[in-house]
Amino acid sequence: MFGKFKGVILALLAGTVATGIGALYSIGSADLPVQDRQPLRFSHRLHAGILNIHCQFCHRYATHSPVAGVPSVALCQTCHESLSEATPDMNMLQIYWNDKRPIPWIRLQRLPDHVYFTHEMHLFAGLSCVSCHGKVDRMSGTPRAPTYEMGWCLTCHEQQGASRDCWTCHK
Amino acid sequence: MDLYRRTLFKILGLTAAGSSLPGCEREVHNLVPYLLPDGDIVPGVANWYATTCQECEAGCGTMVRVMEGRAKKIEGNPTHPVNEGKLCARGQAALQGLYNPDRLQGPLRREGKRGQGPFRPVTWEEGLSEWVEQIRIHAGKSAMVTRPVTGTLASLLTTMMDSLSGRLVMYESTGEQTLRTANHLSFGTQALPHYDLANADYLLSFGTPFLEHWLSPVSFGVAYGKFRQGRPMVRGRFIQVEPRLSLTASNADRWIPLRPGTEGLLAMGIGQVLLRDGLTNLSSSHQASFHRTFSAISLQAISADTEVPQEVITQMAHELSSANAPLIMGGGPAAAQTNGTTTLILINALNVMIGAIGRRGGLQWMEPQDPPVDLANAGLAGERTLMDLAMEFEQGSRTLLHLYRADPLFTLPPSLKFEGVFDHAQFIVSFSPFLDDSTSMADLILPDHDPLESWGDHVRQDTIPVPAWSVSQPVVRPLYDTKPIGDVWLDAAHRLGGSLGERVPWHTFHDLLKSRWQAVLTKHDSPRSFETRWKETLQEGGLWPSTIPHHQISPAIPSITYKPPQFLGNSSDYPLYCYPYPSLGLHDGRGANRPWLQELPDPLTTGIWGSWIELNPTTAQSLGIHPGDRVRVTSDYGSIEASVMMFPGLHPDMIAIPMGQGHRAYGRYAKGRGVNPVVLLGPNYDEQSGSLATGGTRVRVERIKGGSQLPMLEQSGKNPVFGNLQETGGL
Repeated sequence: MFGKFKGVILALLAGTVATGIGALYSIGSADLPVQDRQPLRFSHRLHAGILNIHCQFCHRYATHSPVAGVPSVALCQTCHESLSEATPDMNMLQIYWNDKRPIPWIRLQRLPDHVYFTHEMHLFAGLSCVSCHGKVDRMSGTPRAPTYEMGWCLTCHEQQGASRDCWTCHK
Repeated sequence: MDLYRRTLFKILGLTAAGSSLPGCEREVHNLVPYLLPDGDIVPGVANWYATTCQECEAGCGTMVRVMEGRAKKIEGNPTHPVNEGKLCARGQAALQGLYNPDRLQGPLRREGKRGQGPFRPVTWEEGLSEWVEQIRIHAGKSAMVTRPVTGTLASLLTTMMDSLSGRLVMYESTGEQTLRTANHLSFGTQALPHYDLANADYLLSFGTPFLEHWLSPVSFGVAYGKFRQGRPMVRGRFIQVEPRLSLTASNADRWIPLRPGTEGLLAMGIGQVLLRDGLTNLSSSHQASFHRTFSAISLQAISADTEVPQEVITQMAHELSSANAPLIMGGGPAAAQTNGTTTLILINALNVMIGAIGRRGGLQWMEPQDPPVDLANAGLAGERTLMDLAMEFEQGSRTLLHLYRADPLFTLPPSLKFEGVFDHAQFIVSFSPFLDDSTSMADLILPDHDPLESWGDHVRQDTIPVPAWSVSQPVVRPLYDTKPIGDVWLDAAHRLGGSLGERVPWHTFHDLLKSRWQAVLTKHDSPRSFETRWKETLQEGGLWPSTIPHHQISPAIPSITYKPPQFLGNSSDYPLYCYPYPSLGLHDGRGANRPWLQELPDPLTTGIWGSWIELNPTTAQSLGIHPGDRVRVTSDYGSIEASVMMFPGLHPDMIAIPMGQGHRAYGRYAKGRGVNPVVLLGPNYDEQSGSLATGGTRVRVERIKGGSQLPMLEQSGKNPVFGNLQETGGL
């Protein structure tokens, strides 16, 4: 008896799967805040914008390493232990520090493994952090970065007169 | 069911959509910062630390790449005199010792019957207290079997065992005992010479596997490069004489196969021609004694016995005499017979005849240095010494056994009955970091750090042109709850107290190491502060002078009589010679728990991850055996079963089997894999050196049911050296 509806059932199934995939894809590309929720709410707007702390005070390896680095918990504490006012997030920081646990930040910017990139070289060329990372000093919750796609990199390389050789980035 | 076009498309669509589902999972990566920043670590930037490889006794200098506290890659130290920046596969695979999933992660105490486990984790305090209590109970009855160690650790272990009236035995199955004994008898020193291969222009090698595992293969590899290609107008000529075409032989200009055990006889033949044709550099006073030794057997008889034609012997002698800087080396299979020492003495005598002693491009000895302990005076033991130790355990004069990175139950043939030691010992302590065959029999295991986590040093004062005193430093923090063996012995000394505690006043091995190096560095560079010099030494990887005066050797070639090799097993029941050879990657078996080495193809057969029996195709044909057939190899002492690999570069009366597999324990990669050919060997010794004659047992081969494709890299049927094995005949 299913023979008659077999085509319909299959079409429905295919439709369901396609919808599911579409939904999953859109979640993957839409930077839902649920996925990128950091262990404690850190505000770049407050630290880099209002307090005007230099990016490299915290990301202190950017000038001499491929990675910019995230600050150690001890570095956070150098300021925070002398602050009397405490928000729930600051209390959370204190808990990490007291428990001697590092903070498991969610990584928001990531280049694929086949891309060779160093912060050091780009800062040396005179780029500023906001050239690539946007105005993070105006963002209270840092969103996942727009995908750093090859075309985007190449446009800038072209404008700046930087190398467009494949081997520059794909070693 | 009828499959219509539309239905097919629907199913295809569904399948494609379904298969893409897993790709939609979103990856979440974490960025985990340091709690406290480490001033020496910049994330993303590698730190390189100089240290010393301890995978074999050569002591190559290494540079370890460390990223964020994890050791990632090991390379050679370019300034180190042993390896000049190069490193072998075993050195590279040392990382898999550090990160090995089967490493022991803390002290263990046996709960069940000895050898059956299980082991229960204990605290270090419990472990150390029990061990020290056992030392007290077994006062004066301790013994320690260790792999060869040098430098500060060797001196500490010697001091400790002396103080406890114990016996220290440094043993390695592919050791240099025969060579050292022969050199002692020929030249009056246990120290091995520097074989100046780089400056020689003709090399005659009697079996030395110097490009594989012999003495210091990386330094020989570097010198070999210079020998062949390092000089603009000279390309050294290289002749290898041995019954099996080894990797070294396959690099030679000419490989001369001969009957196993007759290398000394061939040396005699060459010497005889040199003397007959007046081609030696000997003084007239020496001529007579050399004539007596070398003319005892006629060239015709030598040729018949060695199976090397007389004209080839004559040609080799003439080539030697016409070369500017000829060099002769002997070892490997030539030393693995009952006449090994005699053979090597005859080879030494040949070197005297061609004037190679002390010459550039010949054999050179350096002036003896103020000893940090090196291998020459650390007291390496042959198998006979281990048998003496076994006797002491049987008689009850030894009752407490310590093991350190030595696995005699695996490396010694069962026919030697060394397992009796494990029956008679009342308590067994092992410091090995892995549960190897011997450590499985221990009562208490106090695992050592990995060398990449440890302080240490290594002294090499022979086989290279200048002495190399290398330092090992920890490049990563210890991964597990292990303790370095030096710290453990110092702790025991203080617990035992009395004069022992006063003899070793240091609390950590690091303190002891620094105090010894303070003496060395002050002597060599007194004006500057020790701390400055020590830091520089750590950065450089050790201390080595640029030049050193040569030591003049007066050769004393004793009047010796050639002894034919003795084989166990009569030739009618056991028609074939058996030659177990150390594997390039696994060596004597210690590399078997490293997957990188297991998957490293044997360069001649491309075999990986297993054992095989090498058989000459003509011999196989006469026995009705085909490639891949399963065979049983039997001697008077044991039997093994494995698949056959055709190997045309083998004496037809000989089979060869790689060593290193067939562990009963030693972790997931080694346990139960392949077969251990030493089970075939009988108690046949080279009496002068006390070393086991590993080539001295006869066997027979018979086809049995079964057979399977051997794991090989090359599956096309073509061998990288011999081509298509179906078409290639034997010798």
